Amino acid sequence: MADIKVYALSYCPWCKKTRRFFDERHIAVEVVEYDLADKPEQDRIVAEIKALSGGDVTFPCTIIDGTAVLGHHPDRYIALLGLPE
Amino acid sequence: MDRKALFRERFGRIVALLGYKFSPDEELVNDLLDAEVELERRYGAPYCPCQGRTGVRSEDMRIVCPCIPYHRAHYDAMKRCWCGLYVHQDVDDPDALTQIPLSELDL
Repeated sequence: MADIKVYALSYCPWCKKTRRFFDERHIAVEVVEYDLADKPEQDRIVAEIKALSGGDVTFPCTIIDGTAVLGHHPDRYIALLGLPE
Repeated sequence: MDRKALFRERFGRIVALLGYKFSPDEELVNDLLDAEVELERRYGAPYCPCQGRTGVRSEDMRIVCPCIPYHRAHYDAMKRCWCGLYVHQDVDDPDALTQIPLSELDL
């Protein structure tokens, strides 16, 4: 089973779309809501996302078996997981 | 005029000068403006609902809506802002546009 983590903001519509993508397919994911995390965890997430994004702290950020996808990209989730189109 | 109507009216005028307009996706615009009203209530400014505040003022000011001027080259390359609230004025189909991180663009 794939190891999937979604960094999200609780009020971000694109984060909701990403979460819905996995929920609808009954795919288990670990969701980390940045805005609800404590400060040390937020600082860790900021560093991780900045390194991936080129400097901005953008959401959603989905990490599938170590591969990061920034933004809402169903096509990439499908490709990385080998799901049927 | 409530805050959401004020954002719609004021931000619309500002982004028009930058060559942008509100997304034709009215449901998305509605959700994003609702989120910005709540973010302003909680944190004092209408922050972008899809970018994280770090607590560093110089960084957080770069995501106060409309944040297009701080990300001009990036957003012009996407023809939309990160959260999709605004698109280039010639865009009719916002679903054809996707979020592309700066790290994946050759700017």
